[in-house]
Amino acid sequence: MPRLLIVDDEVDVREFAANFFRKRKIDCLTASSGEEALGLLEKNRPDLVLLDIKMAGVDGVETLRRIKKLDASLKVIMVTGRKPEEEGSLQKCRELGALAYVHKPLQLDELERIVMKELAADKKKPQK
Amino acid sequence: MAINYKRELEGASKTMILVHDPNTLIMMIVRMIVQKVRVRHAGILLHDRERDTYILTVSRGIKGVKIPKGFARMDADNALIRFFRERLDKKLFNDGSLIYEEAKKTLKKAKVARKQKEALKGALHQMEIFDVVACIPSYFGDDLLAMLLLGEKKSGRSFGRDEIDFFSALASDVAMAIRNAQLFKELEAELEKKHHLFIHTTVALAAAIDAKDHYTHGHTARVTGISLEIARKLAEKNKESFDEKFLESLHIAGLLHDIGKIGVPEAILNKEGTLNETERKCIEEHPLVGVTILQPIKELESSILGVKYHHERYDGSGYPEKLRGSQIPVIASIISVADAFDAMITDRPYRKGLSKEEAIGEIKRVSGKQFDAQVAEALIELFVEGKI
Repeated sequence: MPRLLIVDDEVDVREFAANFFRKRKIDCLTASSGEEALGLLEKNRPDLVLLDIKMAGVDGVETLRRIKKLDASLKVIMVTGRKPEEEGSLQKCRELGALAYVHKPLQLDELERIVMKELAADKKKPQK
Repeated sequence: MAINYKRELEGASKTMILVHDPNTLIMMIVRMIVQKVRVRHAGILLHDRERDTYILTVSRGIKGVKIPKGFARMDADNALIRFFRERLDKKLFNDGSLIYEEAKKTLKKAKVARKQKEALKGALHQMEIFDVVACIPSYFGDDLLAMLLLGEKKSGRSFGRDEIDFFSALASDVAMAIRNAQLFKELEAELEKKHHLFIHTTVALAAAIDAKDHYTHGHTARVTGISLEIARKLAEKNKESFDEKFLESLHIAGLLHDIGKIGVPEAILNKEGTLNETERKCIEEHPLVGVTILQPIKELESSILGVKYHHERYDGSGYPEKLRGSQIPVIASIISVADAFDAMITDRPYRKGLSKEEAIGEIKRVSGKQFDAQVAEALIELFVEGKI
């Protein structure tokens, strides 16, 4: 089963997204902060990370930097608001190697499509 | 236990009358549905007119099942939105609501056109994604303003006719509340726009005066700024309690205080050297010329006092009416001090402007004679605080 790590400091978002993807036969892990996410990564490597940019404490951009330092090949999709001040962060995430971005409020079918596509792309690769 | 929906609705509408903010109202409605009808989750998508998208604004229900508010949206091309905007709900189902179970049966009916079935299929797919079993649209006319989304009942039973009617009644209340709030906002925006137009027109008029008087470039704007600072200072010191309306009148009066100079020939206005008696009289007419210009505008009544009397002096030696002391309206006393201060520090071709320190010294010297001592004191304090 493909594994997805959801990182968001809002419990409602974590729970909903995890539930949403579990119904689609995806093993979901959740983390409420960047630190927690980094801790989880080392034990259970996910196939994909859904990472909120705006979090209290270590924000999404910094978390992305640390994730990529640990594991440069890990796929990360950023979840962002639509505020212009986050534009700069988006640029940074691009440089740091984030795969894609979804804007909150997001279209659920779009979120489903992007996540499922990335996880399916993984499956096709031969297992090491 | 059966719920008396009619009674609930009556109770709800009584409360709704008291709530004017649509967001509060919508929150109450969703909460009531989740509590009374016992659904797993419920939410409302509200139309964002600027982006033409529907945003899940209010959401309640079981953790993990309810969609976090502000998290999801449906764009105008979303199959569910299209279904309702094209009013297929009316064509396929009489009452306007879309019930998952019922719609699945409709898909099997032979008499339904293929195109409509396709649209319905798309809409149902969206319902699956949002994990909802009923959608109730809120229309104003044919405008889809909002959509109520309902998850399954906790009991797993399907919705009854009375329940759907109840939701539809709530949905039309939601539409009404949103529409009223929109109209109110539009009205406010319209008023503000008119007000801006008024202020900008005044500024344009003020610029016309400044353009005529070569040596006082920016004088009008500076006098207006200093006047407002003085008024704030006086209010802060509790010498006067100025309301918004007074500040507004002062703002306008500051901008227009020299409007009467439009009637003074430029040769006199820009003359280098001393003026003869006739020329002086001509210049001293400018407050009354200003009044003549502005009088037809009824809304400017209190500003006109500032224009008319900004050359009066506290000791009664000013013009045009030789008013003294408390006879001089405070709006004029304020402009008078600001006007004199700015004139003193501005360079003229025949003399260099004073330094601010020197000008303040001069104001101090004539305070209580030329100027109202309290107003002069306010200006001096502003200078000490570095605000002017």
